[in-house]
Amino acid sequence: MKTRTESIERALILNAEGRLDFSAAAGFQKDIEQALSSAQQGSVGLIIDCNGLEYVSSAGLRVFMLAARTAQRTSVYFALCSLQQSVREVFELSGFNRVMTVQPDRATALAGLRGKS
Amino acid sequence: MSTPEIAATESQPRSGLRALAATLVEGDGKYARRFDNFILFLIALSLLSVGLEAISGLPAWARTALWIEELIVVAAFAFEYFLRIVAADNKLAFIFSFYGIVDLLAIAPFFLSGMDTRFLRVLRVLRILRVLKLQRRVLEAAVNDRTRELAERNAELERAQAQLREELSVARALQSSILPAAFPARAECDGTARMTPATTMGGDFYDFIELPDARIGIVMADVSGKGVPAAFFMAVSRTSLREQASHHSTPGACLAQTNDVLCGQNPLDLFVTVFYAILDPATGVLCYANGGHNPPLIARADGAIESLDGEGGLVLGVMPGVSYPEHTMQLRPDDRLVLYTDGITEAFNPANEAYGLERLVAEILAHRAGSSHTLVERICGSVTHFAGTAPQSDDITLTALKWNPR
Repeated sequence: MKTRTESIERALILNAEGRLDFSAAAGFQKDIEQALSSAQQGSVGLIIDCNGLEYVSSAGLRVFMLAARTAQRTSVYFALCSLQQSVREVFELSGFNRVMTVQPDRATALAGLRGKS
Repeated sequence: MSTPEIAATESQPRSGLRALAATLVEGDGKYARRFDNFILFLIALSLLSVGLEAISGLPAWARTALWIEELIVVAAFAFEYFLRIVAADNKLAFIFSFYGIVDLLAIAPFFLSGMDTRFLRVLRVLRILRVLKLQRRVLEAAVNDRTRELAERNAELERAQAQLREELSVARALQSSILPAAFPARAECDGTARMTPATTMGGDFYDFIELPDARIGIVMADVSGKGVPAAFFMAVSRTSLREQASHHSTPGACLAQTNDVLCGQNPLDLFVTVFYAILDPATGVLCYANGGHNPPLIARADGAIESLDGEGGLVLGVMPGVSYPEHTMQLRPDDRLVLYTDGITEAFNPANEAYGLERLVAEILAHRAGSSHTLVERICGSVTHFAGTAPQSDDITLTALKWNPR
């Protein structure tokens, strides 16, 4: 599990790569919390690009859920994008795609952010 | 009795005298430390006396006392020097080492009494260098103490860890023991379940609930995460679900109510996927709702495989006020219902491949004619075989049910 951040327009993009299983969840949670607080300080949105994310366990889903909650509380635009098929299925099965913004690709996620502000 | 293991670790066998000398000047036991302190005291004393001797007009008795003191000091230093030579593995190397020479210089002036006394005093002051040597010994002793302390603490940690492991294994056993051992006895049903907990505590559970109207509630659930938090949340989830099941006659209402209860008792923000079905053994009608769990499979008597999909609801424990759509399915005689957790489909082998749904379906089809018990055993065996040497990272939970009306 690896993460890498970049800035595009009014968004901080966190690229998540690898397998988000139980052992990777704690580290990913730290990365995502840090990105959330940078996004809040810079008044930009946070987009998690899951293009390189191969697997998400339930512990990983929990990290996304907590991040979505924090984002909502701190009024930070938060979206996931570019989910691989297997990961998207996990989000659909658990119902998490209905409680957080999940966009098909980065352009749509950025457009969603522009529409918000 | 001789102890060859210990003898073998010595660089070379030591005679009695040599061993004794080594214990005093090289060891770090009680006697060695006392000996060190004694020598340190003598060094301080002799340095003091060198200073006193320099004072002119000292009374004769004081000079005599100083001379006697010098005699004792030199004797002790000479004795120590002798012991060190005896104890040394390489005697020449010791004699010509820095500390060997310092030791010699500390006693030499006494034996060179024909020389200029001022020169002798300078040489005797060199005894202060011996302090360096003792300091090194003291440092070594401190390092040894630290090492011993660390080893003790390490042992303590290992004991604590062993205790924790023991407690966790008890907790794991307790966790599995609260699950029902058997499917409620009904002539129409052949049901069985099995949970194989992962090495770390997981949060899978299944349940069979005898409802007041003679129907049977069937639960398959998986708490997010692992360890003690997951195990606790599993216990809370199971209890809440059981309680709600007795109050609500439809699975959707039961899940919705359980979800609301769990959202209020969830300090660690965990969640649980729950599939809940109610079977009427008399008619074979299966009514179900799904809170984010892998849809169970049905192997029809004719060999067709269907999954109990249909729209589900959010996993339980995340957000109150969620609804869970209900679906109904008519079981046919000899249909086989299989409920499972992702510990099966996401069991990985050493090459990091997942067991997957296809292997599970193939296994169900291959053994659907036998008893539910056999089917469960075969599937678990196949998963274990597939995973090989890879550690079991998640609980593996499986329920199989055959409905066969008379």
